[in-house]
Amino acid sequence: MDIQEKLQLLTEAAKYDVACTSSGVDRKGTRGTIGSASACGICHSFTADGRCVSLLKLLLTNACIYDCQYCANRRSNDVPRTAFTPREVAELTMQFYRRNYIEGLFLSSAVVKTPDYTMELLIEALRYIREEYHFGGYIHVKAIPGADPALIWRLGHLADRMSTNIELPSETSLLSLAPEKTKPAILTPMRFVQKQMQQSKQELIRYKNATPFVPAGQSTQLIVGATPESDSQIVHLAQGLYKGYTMKRVFYSAYIPTNAKLPMVDTPLLREHRLYQADWLLRFYGFTAQELFKSKDENLTLHIDPKCHWALNNLDHFPVEVNRADYLMLLRVPGIGQKSASRIIAARRIGNLDFPQLKKMGVVLKRAKLFITCNGKMMEKLPWDPSVLEMRLSENYVGGAYTQPSLFDIAPAAIPMKQFAGKQLLLEAASDTTPFLTNIDDSPLPVLPPIEDAS
Amino acid sequence: MPAPDNTKASKAKREVAILFDGSLEGFLCILHAYYYENVSPLIIQTEDNYQPTLDTEEYHILSCSTIATRVQGGIIKKISPQAWHTLSSAYLAAYVEDKYIAMFRYLLLGFRVGAIVDDHLYEDCVLRVHKFARQVGRETHLLTGFCRFEETTNNIYYCPIEPTNYVLPRLAEHFSDRMMNQAWIIHDKKHGKAAVYNGETYVIADVPKDAQVQHTDSEAQIQDLWITFFNSVAIKERVKPKLQRQLLPLYFRKSMTEFQKKPTTRKTLKRKSLISLEQKDLPT
Repeated sequence: MDIQEKLQLLTEAAKYDVACTSSGVDRKGTRGTIGSASACGICHSFTADGRCVSLLKLLLTNACIYDCQYCANRRSNDVPRTAFTPREVAELTMQFYRRNYIEGLFLSSAVVKTPDYTMELLIEALRYIREEYHFGGYIHVKAIPGADPALIWRLGHLADRMSTNIELPSETSLLSLAPEKTKPAILTPMRFVQKQMQQSKQELIRYKNATPFVPAGQSTQLIVGATPESDSQIVHLAQGLYKGYTMKRVFYSAYIPTNAKLPMVDTPLLREHRLYQADWLLRFYGFTAQELFKSKDENLTLHIDPKCHWALNNLDHFPVEVNRADYLMLLRVPGIGQKSASRIIAARRIGNLDFPQLKKMGVVLKRAKLFITCNGKMMEKLPWDPSVLEMRLSENYVGGAYTQPSLFDIAPAAIPMKQFAGKQLLLEAASDTTPFLTNIDDSPLPVLPPIEDAS
Repeated sequence: MPAPDNTKASKAKREVAILFDGSLEGFLCILHAYYYENVSPLIIQTEDNYQPTLDTEEYHILSCSTIATRVQGGIIKKISPQAWHTLSSAYLAAYVEDKYIAMFRYLLLGFRVGAIVDDHLYEDCVLRVHKFARQVGRETHLLTGFCRFEETTNNIYYCPIEPTNYVLPRLAEHFSDRMMNQAWIIHDKKHGKAAVYNGETYVIADVPKDAQVQHTDSEAQIQDLWITFFNSVAIKERVKPKLQRQLLPLYFRKSMTEFQKKPTTRKTLKRKSLISLEQKDLPT
């Protein structure tokens, strides 16, 4: 098999791993070597599915001794098998890097022979790249569950980021779908990496020649939709990983059917998207999983994002006065992110802010205007009613809130038009195809507030 | 720079159309002229782009590096290093009519209020200058990923780009750090400039807009491998061209290998496990 065929097979085998970030470490180039790393990460291309290519994502081999049901490379699956030699991986990486195709290498592997043997191959490949080709760019590598800590220690000093995939969000699922893997086998290397990272940080301060251990932190991946775990369980698990294991990132991957034993339907991508939004709320917006889910066994709403959902359930915190609220409260307003919040904080040192100024500064008011006041005034007159706000917040009014009225529809009951000023739109009588509207089914008042400009 | 005295002096200032040579030095000298030669710009324009009108007096600025250095020092000291960075980025932005006057007003405001000029986020001139700077920063960042080098026969890696803004100085800075042990040329075809790096330092020179390069034999093979990788890494079930276009506009694709070239060799793989991993295939 020539290198091109191998590359095709082993890329296709690796593509389901979603992590492709090259961020988290800033490293200048040094004379005589090639490569640097940039903390913000650099995307080098975007594939047809809209994902970024920043790292050369490869499996060292796809010949696996395990039989995990969710995985395309499982032992019982009838696919061609092949393997790169460590030298080939190193050569490919360098040739691509010299042409600025990639930001670095993402090397993973199926478990061949034993976890330790696989780890030795990975170390060999990374050692070539770092020590023979003097590569200073980014390397993300997988730690193989069940490998010897000494090997993980060695690998961690060659890589920037290390990850161990949990894949299945609960122990029961793990037991049923990946019987050869155990929870301790996954969590032990994670804990080990975390401890070594802490130790390495101190060593770097103390000793001149200390080398950093996994400077860009570790990450993991969860498959969503192959097993029956709820979003609440997944987000609580992610929070546990961020807090307990100082995880840099948790990735979520909507399950793509690869095996007849598992549900053959695609998990909706929207669910994956909502999980990422919740993840961002945990990491950058000061939310906790407990706030996002009132009860256990609850899923995130699909028609509005988790932040809006939280705001609607906690209307007592709103409206927020832009000229006074602290940074953390501004961050909790739907539609205001870190950038807008810090701009508001900076600009209000100069003078009082009003809505036109906010707009000028680039604060997106589409959702925010429903939850903020400037000098005590709202932007629009709106009934302070969760169901009306919810309708305004729904993305594209999903759920059929806006539908083409038919001539043959029964005219809706008289709608009190005087109640709200401004342009009015009549909604046809709330039907049972609109799940989130059902709670206001009895009231004859499905009145939509004015539509804002598509800005 | 002295503290601007804009109470009495500004009343007496002559209102003129200021013309300069388009260099950053020239632009900084306008500030000097404003404070010391009592002229106030109605418009600021480069000499090439200026359309003379009957009722405006022209005032030509002579670039002077000593004055420019003084003004630069003044900006860093009296406003902030951050403001200097913003301004020099904005200077690289593609030409629009109000670019220089916005930059000028930004500096005037800066000298009046100091470092907090960057917090005046609803002032038009500040917004404009930030926007220009952001535009340059953004394009630089995208191109650090999107530009592609090709190996040429004399062992120099050649990279053609066609950026909207003049981002070449910023790109050269990035790649002189990254590709430290290889010689390269980044050729900005739009502005007719090229950054040439010999393994130690780089220079930016004027170069004709079209240039011929001779590729090495292995170059096509590597490009094939890259295209193979690029096509295989996409998940077929999740194809989303609209998102791809949003993140990687067609504009950049003109000079990107994976969008411009078709692989010269294409192989179809046998689906069944006719190819199986033998013990001898395993690396030892």
